[in-house]
Amino acid sequence: MFTYFVIKRILKGIIMFVILMFMSSAIFNTVSEKTLKAQIEENINAEVRGLSNMRTEDVENFIKERRAYYYDIYWLNRSIGERIFIRAINTITFQFGKSTIMMDSNGNRDVIKIIGEALPRSIILFTTASIIQMIIGLIIGLVKARKAGGLFDRTTSIITMIVYGMPTWWLSMILIMIFVYKFNLFPSGGVHSIPTPEGIMYYLDMLWHMALPMLTLTSIGFWGLSFVVRNIVLSTLQEDYIMAARARGISEKSVLLGHTLRSSAPPIVTITLLGLLGSIAGSIIFEGIFSWPGLGNLYWISVQQNDIPVLMGNLAITTALYQFGLVVLDISYGFLDPRIKVGGKM
Amino acid sequence: MSKDINKNNLNKKLAPLIEFFNEFKKDKTGVVGLCILVLAIFVSLFEPLILTYKEAPKRWRDITYWQDNPASAPPEWLNFFSREKSAITTDIKPISVETNYIDSQAVYKAVFEYDYKFDKSPVDLIFHANVDNSSALVWNVTRPDGEVITLSDSLHNIKGDLRISAFNDSKNRIFRFYRESVPRMLARQIDTLTTNPMKILFNTKKDDMAKNFLALKGIYKFEVTANFSDANSSFENPYMVLVGSMSGIMGTDNMKRDIFSGLISGLKWALFIGIATSFISVIIGVMYGIVSAYFGGFVDSFMQFVYQIFIGIPVLPVMIVMSAIFKPTIWTMISMMIFFSWTGSVMTVRSMAMQLKEETYIEAARTIGASHFRIIFNHLAPLLLPFSFASMALAVPSAIVYESSLSLLGLGDATIVTWGQILHDAMKGSAVLSGLWWWIIPPGILIAILGMSFAFLGFALDKILHPKLKSR
Repeated sequence: MFTYFVIKRILKGIIMFVILMFMSSAIFNTVSEKTLKAQIEENINAEVRGLSNMRTEDVENFIKERRAYYYDIYWLNRSIGERIFIRAINTITFQFGKSTIMMDSNGNRDVIKIIGEALPRSIILFTTASIIQMIIGLIIGLVKARKAGGLFDRTTSIITMIVYGMPTWWLSMILIMIFVYKFNLFPSGGVHSIPTPEGIMYYLDMLWHMALPMLTLTSIGFWGLSFVVRNIVLSTLQEDYIMAARARGISEKSVLLGHTLRSSAPPIVTITLLGLLGSIAGSIIFEGIFSWPGLGNLYWISVQQNDIPVLMGNLAITTALYQFGLVVLDISYGFLDPRIKVGGKM
Repeated sequence: MSKDINKNNLNKKLAPLIEFFNEFKKDKTGVVGLCILVLAIFVSLFEPLILTYKEAPKRWRDITYWQDNPASAPPEWLNFFSREKSAITTDIKPISVETNYIDSQAVYKAVFEYDYKFDKSPVDLIFHANVDNSSALVWNVTRPDGEVITLSDSLHNIKGDLRISAFNDSKNRIFRFYRESVPRMLARQIDTLTTNPMKILFNTKKDDMAKNFLALKGIYKFEVTANFSDANSSFENPYMVLVGSMSGIMGTDNMKRDIFSGLISGLKWALFIGIATSFISVIIGVMYGIVSAYFGGFVDSFMQFVYQIFIGIPVLPVMIVMSAIFKPTIWTMISMMIFFSWTGSVMTVRSMAMQLKEETYIEAARTIGASHFRIIFNHLAPLLLPFSFASMALAVPSAIVYESSLSLLGLGDATIVTWGQILHDAMKGSAVLSGLWWWIIPPGILIAILGMSFAFLGFALDKILHPKLKSR
């Protein structure tokens, strides 16, 4: 039953991804074609400059010939429906082609290589930050739930609300201004110093670069989580079996950690994973400000340089990751909550 | 009689509202949120009265409008904390304007007085007048120590705003004054490229006045005489601006714009974007959930499928890509945000509507022959909408943050001023690097405060509407 559920969910995720890619392919088709056409004209111009001893008619014919040749390669002579279809298929199979401007560190123009270089850096930063956030949020949430309505609960709730509408990137600007330019404690951005140190120093250097972004992320991130944990745990504490456990004289600590937390786990896991997913997708400005060369920074740069292939490829990868995360979420949810395994209907 | 009944009815209708408000009053944070919100609405309603630069919202990107301000100047209240007082930007109005006609010539004479009390030199001294026709204009200053310096003496043929800046146009005349006032030995020491003429003009006369500044305090008298060859000329509204090194309530940015005016004119947009987006998207989400639950079956599964697609879209990246490509106005931006964020309240409303539609009175309504439209709008929506007020309030901050995130990337609507755009300019003007905190902190704090007030409101509403979570 569970395998059936898992297979069904994975298939559904793939179908969703395909549909989303078709949609974005339809939306961005015209735009990417505009840049592509401009690129083709540039190529042809370069070729014409290389020619010599030709009459004007010959040159015109040559240009027409080359244009037809390039249009044939890039399917620009096909109908619009066909083009959208081909582009969508290319995106779905992760064939993003080459970037127009950007390159990876080896000077490679393949979009997939550029993204492949950026992705791990994003994951390192945001997963570490998420794990720290989750631990702090869980602890604070439990403490809050234990003495609900108390001084600690109320003050932390107020801080949560104060932080609620605060943009993370604004806090990072402030922290950079203070810690980097005022006190010179941390580097202003990037993953490594230049020149990059070797051996154990390589990792220490990376940690040093990670410190400030992590500090910013965690100092804002855990508040919301702790508030949610508090509410979930609190509503579980009102269940009858907790009452029964208390009546049996089980210590408050094991009621909280054993009974309550176990049944509160699924929604908490959901929220944490959703937060992680959201942070990967929404890290664009944050990474831009710290010039952390991850996926988000790639968006920032490709938007500024108008590099449509990279933008599209990046979007495809982010969507794929997001869908993948949602699938994992549902499956793990089913794994944690036996009721879903049996029901099968999602 | 009938009046009484009406009044009774009205009271009955208002009773739950009053009860709700009494409940609401108990939550202190909710009240704080409401107060901030009301204050914000008042500020944006009376914006023209509060703005220090009245045309700021319209001419935010017009360089000529801001040309009389100092660039990157800190807020003027900082003077309060420093021992040496910096000059503050002030407008000086003429104490008298005379007009004489001599032999078909028009002679206008404007006299200004300014009591200089600061310890540091100002940044510039600017004369403005609205003139028509050609004139010979002389601008003199009498310093407190009795020295008279001619700041400007030239012919102008301008129709419209005449602007003479002492920093740019009187440099040589001020340096001549320096050479005449110090011993011949020292007269050559002055470096005309790097020396600030204002530091000579407002300096006490002494031998080392090129290097050390000691403000000459007291009353400066300015006299502007304009000789027009034609009697049909005009010379209107003369005024002077003393450009200080501090300016405005919140300082200025590197384009000389007054940040306080920008912040105030950005408030109404933040409110509008936040409230419009969250209101419309929550209404759409609620209606979507109700329709989906009410019809059930095929309609429900199709609508759930569409919903699933929408929650699978990573919103911010898609919005960034779309705005980068289509260069949206504020209206398309709001529509885009609504398009991507209506999904928030669908699931809870759907599950609530599922229960409600099984109630007997709905079934009764259906058997009488009430239309689907009527049942949805008259019976289901009024019961479910109150529950969405909390999510409406809680959705406002994220809409504000989304807009400012897009603006921060430079993808905002360039015809208006928003806090995000001020922060974008700060990023581009490397305010972080040069520590121009008055340019970065206030817009962010305002975003945070507005977000906080809506969060206070939202959580308070949530507590009243879902009392289970109040306490153990």
